[in-house]
Amino acid sequence: MRKKLLHKTQQIYIIYSIITFLIISPIFYFTTEKLYLDDTDETLMLNKERFEKQILPGFKIKDISTWNTYNPENLILDKIPIKKDSIFSTIDFSELEQEDEPYRMLFSPIKIEGQPYLYTEKINLVEAEDLLFSIAILFITLIILLMIGVFIITNRISKKIWKPFYELIHQIEEFEIDKDPKPHFKTTTIEEFNRLNEAVEKLMRKNIKIYNNQREFIDNAAHELQTPLAIFRSKIDLLIQRDDLTHGQAAIVVTINENIDRLIKLNKNLLILSKIDRNIELEVEKFSLKLLLEKQIEFFSGQANTKQIQIKNRISDDVIVNANKNLTEILFSNLLLNAMKYNVKNGTVIIELDNGKVSVSNTSDQTKIPKDKLFNRFSKSNQNQQGNGLGLAIVKKIVDQNNWEITYNYSKNRHFFTVTF
Amino acid sequence: MKILLIEDEQELSLSILQYLNGNGVLCEAVNNVLEALEKITMYQYDCILLDLSLPDGDGFEILKALKTQGKEEGVIIISAKSSLDTRIEGFNLGADDFLVKPFHLSELLVRIQALIRRKQFSGNTNLIFNEIEINLLSKSITINQSKVDLTKTELDLLLFLIGNKNKVLSKGAIAEHLSGDMADMLENHDFVYAHIKNLKRKLKQSGSEDYIKTIYGLGYKFQE
Repeated sequence: MRKKLLHKTQQIYIIYSIITFLIISPIFYFTTEKLYLDDTDETLMLNKERFEKQILPGFKIKDISTWNTYNPENLILDKIPIKKDSIFSTIDFSELEQEDEPYRMLFSPIKIEGQPYLYTEKINLVEAEDLLFSIAILFITLIILLMIGVFIITNRISKKIWKPFYELIHQIEEFEIDKDPKPHFKTTTIEEFNRLNEAVEKLMRKNIKIYNNQREFIDNAAHELQTPLAIFRSKIDLLIQRDDLTHGQAAIVVTINENIDRLIKLNKNLLILSKIDRNIELEVEKFSLKLLLEKQIEFFSGQANTKQIQIKNRISDDVIVNANKNLTEILFSNLLLNAMKYNVKNGTVIIELDNGKVSVSNTSDQTKIPKDKLFNRFSKSNQNQQGNGLGLAIVKKIVDQNNWEITYNYSKNRHFFTVTF
Repeated sequence: MKILLIEDEQELSLSILQYLNGNGVLCEAVNNVLEALEKITMYQYDCILLDLSLPDGDGFEILKALKTQGKEEGVIIISAKSSLDTRIEGFNLGADDFLVKPFHLSELLVRIQALIRRKQFSGNTNLIFNEIEINLLSKSITINQSKVDLTKTELDLLLFLIGNKNKVLSKGAIAEHLSGDMADMLENHDFVYAHIKNLKRKLKQSGSEDYIKTIYGLGYKFQE
């Protein structure tokens, strides 16, 4: 189970306190009781010694009954004499309290006028019990106060001490490599956190640098490719003008031409991705999504006819979005293009706009596409497709950039891509 | 038609020259800003094709020079830079059109023709090819004095074909021309066939000769 760091330390403190309390309490109880008994025993012995020294020398057998009347706690009995002093605990009936109560008793052999007698003495232990009880309550109160104190103090201190740490976590969570602003860490008074901040900042800067280099590389590569591609295309345009091309040669040229077109398209897509990555040229404006989609449907209908695909317009609503119009066009034309590309003969493409959501769905002979890599660059679920693998990556980029959301679903043999605004 | 091509990529420059020279365009080529400035000061051109990144400077310098010299030449920027800022700057400095590399030579040719028509024959808006007469303003076409009903795309296609007469046009080049901005979103080029077929039929029905030839595998050619 996952716990917060603070709760973890607090939990340890509390468990420690409880264990300490459980161990200490009986020890404390028995020690206190023992001390009290020892004290009681000493008192008993002291009393006995005083009796022997001060009273016993002049004590007569006839005095015993009088003595016993006035000293109910200190009777002299002519019971079978014992040889040694003995002290023990016992329960006895208290006349005063009218109930059984614990006593500490001393039996000691004495001689009165040469006759053996038994000197008894008892001390009520009720007071000791009361004392113990009071001490226990004090003890518990102390422990509880201590625990509450520890709890509050650790809470306060931890929150204060760990504040930079939580700030760091927050910054890391918010961090997106392709987005500004760069994280900024406050310096703290705790050395470890400073080190951590510095390390994370260094790591982030390094990654941002690598990412930017990579981005620049893609951008440069795509830009540099344009000129050779332009030459390539122009040469093919010239080549097909030749009268002396044989059918065989023409077939080769056609294939080269088709692939040059693919290459150019791929390069253009890379440029679009790089443009979005660099976050440039993204003026936003308010426009009607309905109009934009209708324009797209019109464009794709021409292509759909030749492929015998039906595009169904189910636009029932309108949404005014505030975004870059050009990129939004690219977003939906890519979705529509895919819906056409992976469609089947006599299939359908349905465009719905309802409740602030646009969904583009199509029939296909493909089953559900695994979601994990769907929006990755150059990921293709089917190797023999003509796509360049960038369409959905561009779609995702544009959606992310606008903080929209895109979901993919497969139901009733239709692939659904839904964009929520 | 006299054209100045300012382009530093030798091979691209050669391709453009070769393609344009065959279609009644007289084309001179230079490959740097200095020579270009010399040429524009000395001669008068119908149109200038301008690359932006040149070895000794920026193509924009030439636009500025044209402006200060009060020259009226139409300028088509041909550049690999396609950003909005570049386009806006180009148009602000007086460029008339912007063609992003890589482009089809056929597209370049019709852009030149369109620009020259806009610049020079502002009064004359009729394009005549034998029995075919196209009014570019009203977008109407007559064959042997009788009106032919063409769709917008078919007219566009016809203009593209006539503009590139005697040239073989690949399906891709035609498809891209017809799709304009959306050219990158073409799934295939098959729809060109349908448009060509309809156009041929309509022209034939109106008594026009069959100028549109199918060049096996490669594409189409408008030929007398």
